Amino acid sequence: MSQQPERGDTGLAGLDCAPGETLLSVRDLRTYYESGDLIGGQPVKAVDGVSFDVKKGETIGVVGESGCGKTTLGRTLVRLEAATGGEVRVGSDDVTELSGEDLKAWRRNAQVVFQDPESSLNDRMTIGEIIREPLDVHDWGTPAERRARVRDLLEKVGLQEEHYYRYPHQFSGGQRQRIGIARALALEPEFVVLDEPVSALDVSVQAQILNLLMDLQDELGLTYLFIAHDLSVVRHICDRVAVMYLGNVMELGPTDELFEDPANPYTRALLSAVPEPDPTAEIDRMTLRGTPPSPRDPPEGCAFSTRCPVKIRPDGSDEVDESTWEAVEVFRETLRARSRTERSLSERARELIGLETRFATVDEVVGELFTDRDIPVSVKEPVDQAADLAREGDEDAALEHLKGELGSVCDHESPEDHAVGTEGRESRCHRHAAEYEEPSAVGPSVGGED
Amino acid sequence: MSAVDYPVDEDEQTLLERIQDEPGPALKLLAVVVPLFAVEFGAVASLVMSLPWSAVGSALPGFLQGLAGALAGVGDALANLPTLLSRSVIDNSGYQLPSGEWVGTTLGLSPAVAWLLRVLLVYAYGFAWMAVGWWVYLVYRDNYRYADWAPVDDMVNRFRNHSWGLLGLAIIFAFVVLALFAPALGPTTVEANISDPYLHTVEYFDEEAGSVQEIYVGDANRDSQSRGQGGDNVGPLSYDQFGRFHPFGTLPSGKDLFTFMAAGARVSLFIGVLSLLIAGGIAVTFALATAYYKGLVDLGVVIASDSIQSLPQLLFIMLASFVLSGTWLANLYSGGVVLALLFGFTGWPGLWRAVRGPALQVSEREWIDAAKSFGQRPSVTMRKHMLPYVVGYLLIYASLTLGGVIIGVAGLSFLGLGINAPTPEWGRAVSAGQPYVPTQSWHISLIPGIMVVIVVTGFNALGDGIRDAIDPQSDVGTGQQDESAAAGGGA
Ligand code: SF4
Repeated sequence: MSQQPERGDTGLAGLDCAPGETLLSVRDLRTYYESGDLIGGQPVKAVDGVSFDVKKGETIGVVGESGCGKTTLGRTLVRLEAATGGEVRVGSDDVTELSGEDLKAWRRNAQVVFQDPESSLNDRMTIGEIIREPLDVHDWGTPAERRARVRDLLEKVGLQEEHYYRYPHQFSGGQRQRIGIARALALEPEFVVLDEPVSALDVSVQAQILNLLMDLQDELGLTYLFIAHDLSVVRHICDRVAVMYLGNVMELGPTDELFEDPANPYTRALLSAVPEPDPTAEIDRMTLRGTPPSPRDPPEGCAFSTRCPVKIRPDGSDEVDESTWEAVEVFRETLRARSRTERSLSERARELIGLETRFATVDEVVGELFTDRDIPVSVKEPVDQAADLAREGDEDAALEHLKGELGSVCDHESPEDHAVGTEGRESRCHRHAAEYEEPSAVGPSVGGED
Repeated sequence: MSAVDYPVDEDEQTLLERIQDEPGPALKLLAVVVPLFAVEFGAVASLVMSLPWSAVGSALPGFLQGLAGALAGVGDALANLPTLLSRSVIDNSGYQLPSGEWVGTTLGLSPAVAWLLRVLLVYAYGFAWMAVGWWVYLVYRDNYRYADWAPVDDMVNRFRNHSWGLLGLAIIFAFVVLALFAPALGPTTVEANISDPYLHTVEYFDEEAGSVQEIYVGDANRDSQSRGQGGDNVGPLSYDQFGRFHPFGTLPSGKDLFTFMAAGARVSLFIGVLSLLIAGGIAVTFALATAYYKGLVDLGVVIASDSIQSLPQLLFIMLASFVLSGTWLANLYSGGVVLALLFGFTGWPGLWRAVRGPALQVSEREWIDAAKSFGQRPSVTMRKHMLPYVVGYLLIYASLTLGGVIIGVAGLSFLGLGINAPTPEWGRAVSAGQPYVPTQSWHISLIPGIMVVIVVTGFNALGDGIRDAIDPQSDVGTGQQDESAAAGGGA
């Protein structure tokens, strides 16, 4: 059917590298959103210092809970969002700073397949017009050649030529996603961001679309960045995986190894949340307490430190028992939640005159967590002090105090990327440093390691 | 990227080629359109000739001026061609002999019947054009469009089944025909009866003298006044003593109310449409720009529109039209242009607010991101990917607002502002008849008042119909998929 047109220069020297070589190198990429308020306000740190390489022809997965910044990362790479800092190198060019003809070349070579096929196709245009639009924008060939190309693309993604004059309403979700893929491939891009391309589809259709994507990759030598929250899909399709949490890449490595033997505490927690295929397998699930902190105000140390089940304890706290530490962490989490919640004026007034509000009083929290416990003085004093501060309504000061007194290296220092496993795998956690125990040694077992 | 010699095996035909391949339906259509156009060709030509051509002609170089003069001669000749809907085709002016016989009217019909026939003819003609419009859509849809189904088909079908919307359409159709064909519809004309009554005469049979007399219209009007209790009155559907038929009766000045209303419809429609073109144009441009760029652009427009909306619109318009009253602007179209501009420039914030929501909503759709990702220009993105979703809402709110503008203009004219006398405006008729409402001359206020209500209701009904037809639900929510419509194709 289709004859490939002669492939000319991609327009950006770095894109013409050989398969397996580094296509993109992302370094310390940061994308912050200005907060809605016009005056002051913290920016949302959606992507907060991310570094990784993308090799030509590979599929690199990016996984994480919703809100971890994975979609923003993908959007920044294709210049749908402006980067706040860092760089994305393609050869000698920095994608975040391209303009004019170079930006045009990048836009031609970097495409997106969006998550929601209901929303990604303009319902008032025919399928032909939709797929043709990128060709029109980039003045590709003659109008007749464009139409012929659209027909080829329709066939390539498993649709029929007759669909040219139909409207999106006349197609099912899976078919619409095929149309979105055809549009993304129209300009023969080198790099395609797949932003959860199957998560909105029926399970029965997901596999078909994934197979189509893999076939197209083989045929056209495409490089994919595959964004997903579904770990099983990632395992199926990706060569390497980056695990994101709160704007950071916590662990990055070859898919199989990462799934078999997750190194980072967050990866381990994420994987243990995946239902095991064998329900009789007795495993100690790692459950995560609390919710991720606000990306406006991420923790100072490790991004995961507010929820990490294997967080390093401060020096000299060996005599404190496990459940007391747990209580301290819960206390801190409660204070954080309180300081985040806006309280109305009337609630503040009620608090002042000692009436009940929807917030449990500090005393109630402290009582519930710490009575009936044999607390060593080293813990009791900071807790009491913090409770006093919180009672006066200054949760932030209370948190500062607790962090100063009872915080560990996880609270104070951002962890480095440590090389783990065998080949080119990295994990961002203090526990990989020589002086601490490995996460796998302290936490419950996860993945295939047992 | 090169696309050299991309294999092209089949090509799309242009609309013209498609029509050439299957000329039947198009020819049938043409066979109806041409005569329909031909019978009114003279009117169109005279409209063209009424433009200031002489200014253009004198600017031309010498040798072309001769040509232009020849063209002008042809144009004038064309403009003088008889047209179907001119007053002379069915003439309703004449006098009645004591025998009851009518002289001067077409076929000796009574003026009432002659007038009614002409009105029916005009509306039949208007209706024919509407039917042709519908037919064009059908022919295009069934014969020449590539797509078997398009979203607009569903909208048209929904509107067709919307009886309230259809009622609105019928009312607005009647109103627009009244405005467009006002000179042909009135039993007399604005010049003869309202603006220059002492330059025109009528003939009537004087019983005392026993002969046909000629009298100035102005003098005749003095004897056909409607002045309520104890005074003269010429009510609806009646003749005055000069054999003139008054379908809606006469004004206190003795002028014909129907002629006044028909011409007033023109003024109202002109002001309404022009002001909404201005307001709608501003509103939709701002809505698209604010939704696309958000942030500071949005804030700027919010502030601008808030400051305009904080003005009491009618008071401001009164003040401004008073301030402008001495200028040349105020004389354009008897002050209609000023009113249209004022309503347009004060009215856009309301419309902008109404379409801002839909515009913001559509700007969140992923197809906008898709267009950005392959580098589509912002102006094209707004036009292709946002405007089609906003324009429906604009139509809804424009038709609602149009009613408001008509009421506003009527209100201003009622207060003696707005449209300068003697140019007809509905509000002035209401105002003139106000003292006579409880008397036998009730018609002067009541008929224009009721017509304002009907027209405004018609615009509202039309707006409702459009809203249900574009069915925002199916656009914003998850549209239902017609699986069977796209049989095959896998996934
Ligand atoms: S650095 Fe500390 S808090 Fe962060 S993942 Fe490692 S152990 Fe947990």
